[in-house]
Amino acid sequence: MASPLEARSLSLVREGNAVLDGVSFTVAKGEIFALLGGNGAGKSSTLLTFLGFLEPSGGEVLVNGRSVGSDVAAARNAIAYLPEAASLYAHMTAYENLDYFLDLAGKSATKDEIDVALDRVALPNEARSRRLQSYSKGMRQKSAIALALLRETPILLLDEPTSGLDPVAIDEFHDLVKTLAEGGQTVLMVTHDVYGACQVADRVGLLRHGKLVGSFAAENGQRIDTETVHAAFAGREAT
Amino acid sequence: MSTVTRIAREEWRLWLRSKVVVVAALIVAVLLAATSVLTVNRIAAEQSQRIEQQVAAEQTFFAQPDRHPHRMVHYGHYAFRPPPPLAVFEPGVDAVTGQSIFLEGHRQNTAMFADTKAAADLGGFASLTPASLYQLLLPLLLIVLGHAIFLRERESGTLAVMLAQGQSGTRLALGKATALLAVIAIFMIPLIGVAAYSISLGESALAAISLVAGYFVYLCVWGAIVLAASILLKQRAVSLGALIFVWLFAALIVPRFAINASSAAIDAPGKIESDLVMLAEQRKLGDGHNAADPAFMQLQAQVLQQYGVETIEELPINWRGVVASFSEAELTELLNSYAEKRMGLEASQSRLFGLFGVVSPTIAISSASRTLAGTDLATHHRFLRESEDLRFGFVQALNEKHVTALDYQVDLNRNNGEEASRAATINASAWRVLDEFRFAPDSASQRMDRAMLSLAILIAWLIAATGVVYIASRKVKL
Repeated sequence: MASPLEARSLSLVREGNAVLDGVSFTVAKGEIFALLGGNGAGKSSTLLTFLGFLEPSGGEVLVNGRSVGSDVAAARNAIAYLPEAASLYAHMTAYENLDYFLDLAGKSATKDEIDVALDRVALPNEARSRRLQSYSKGMRQKSAIALALLRETPILLLDEPTSGLDPVAIDEFHDLVKTLAEGGQTVLMVTHDVYGACQVADRVGLLRHGKLVGSFAAENGQRIDTETVHAAFAGREAT
Repeated sequence: MSTVTRIAREEWRLWLRSKVVVVAALIVAVLLAATSVLTVNRIAAEQSQRIEQQVAAEQTFFAQPDRHPHRMVHYGHYAFRPPPPLAVFEPGVDAVTGQSIFLEGHRQNTAMFADTKAAADLGGFASLTPASLYQLLLPLLLIVLGHAIFLRERESGTLAVMLAQGQSGTRLALGKATALLAVIAIFMIPLIGVAAYSISLGESALAAISLVAGYFVYLCVWGAIVLAASILLKQRAVSLGALIFVWLFAALIVPRFAINASSAAIDAPGKIESDLVMLAEQRKLGDGHNAADPAFMQLQAQVLQQYGVETIEELPINWRGVVASFSEAELTELLNSYAEKRMGLEASQSRLFGLFGVVSPTIAISSASRTLAGTDLATHHRFLRESEDLRFGFVQALNEKHVTALDYQVDLNRNNGEEASRAATINASAWRVLDEFRFAPDSASQRMDRAMLSLAILIAWLIAATGVVYIASRKVKL
């Protein structure tokens, strides 16, 4: 059976610069794979190639075994994408935003179903009918996550999902992602948060200058060792 | 509800929640309503006034007492051009061409202006009309509303979310276009109201509907230009600046340049200038008031031969009347040749100006608008020709009375005292030779024919602008 997500020797050149250089990985069904890297490592670009927003210069990306280049629509239908900036409309309420974007995705949800999703991301009840312009960054992030939940897609792509969230919200989010993965959803997240990645991911890939330079997996029911990954991230031996 | 409609609806939600946009739209709406009401009232008043004046001028002419027929030739008459019903929307060239002419013997007078009703009219600025609002202000409102309609999604990051929901750039553009189309549809309502009102005043439905359709296409052209800029450009300040520049170029700079270029390319002398040139030729024709002018010797010989007599005193007709009639015919031929040449040059200038529509859609719609409303130069020229026919008709009819109804000797003695003067008159019933004159606009199909080129240019603009939107939307990138 084909992996939900697969990158095969993925290369990407933008404005003459090599952004990705021969990156290969697969993400299995129900797995949480975190791509870790510093600024400009090529993390977000990797996500965007899976959505067909960027066209690989070499290699290919596959969603459910099908090349994204050959069927972008199928790839986008299978993926719920949470961008870094949690971009929803500031002039709309959470309800209006979710209803609108679900409509664009060809789905619909009742107010109760939207409430369930917002409960799962712990967005306060009183905030749901307010416009997002009065929201904190974390509240906007939660609304965007709720959209990803409501899409009920088999694959989740998360770009710096915990950026701007407070520690409690980050823990709640990690729990949520784990629950989703246990339910069979495949998660590819990119982050520069070593601790967060090790807390939630089954595997962590380390991207540096567009190359996948390391891979770390949780073993024997243990979490990935943060110190080891942090040392690799910083380019030194673990102590 | 389709996703296209949904995208349009959400764009409207944003506009309605944005105070700046609502205030801008309200100001334009109030301006549009106020200008429409004011222009409708003014034109309606002018229309009834000029029709009444035409009737009054005829009645005054008919009411003149027994007189020498040539005195009636100089007493003269007026021809009025009432504004057509659609002038309530598009007054066109009325403001610069004059709407009434004093008709008299031996002269083709210049059209005169209606009385100035208020000192404010003398301020030197063109008055605001519903047509000018549609041509200039509504495109500006579309720019304000739509300059960021697409790029806002890119700037705020929602474009990625929208595309990630499986929507294509083309569908998003279609949704945004629908939102702009709804704005345009709403702003067509006052024009539709004015068009319906003009139909109630007797305007042809075809002309009124064509005018509405023309403006709809024009605003759609602007909507497409605005949308294309919003898709192609990355920053809203750049988009707003570029669109304002395009507006300045298309709506203000090119029309003024086109006027200068048309005048420079085709030099058309004005009425006064051509009258001065014509004066020398006119002198060669002889003085129609002087039957003894050597210029009429050949005519005298012909007439004497025709009647088989030796002297003009023996003629059974009034020789002075014959000279007056002959002189008027020759003079009119000369006047008409100059007038036709001048009008031909003006028409060429107007056609050349209209061709600038390929550079500016504002020129294309303004040309089509004036033509369809019946307030274009061609209509004014027809008014000049028809009023000249009226002038020539009644002058020659009076000259004919001079020839046949007034004895030559009595005519010669007319200045020998009061009694002789009274004898040299004819019965006032002869003034009925004056034809009734009611100027009406061309038929709708004739106006459509004349407006076809401008309308075709507008449609070409729409196809080109829509094509750019389509191509740009297919290549939408984050």
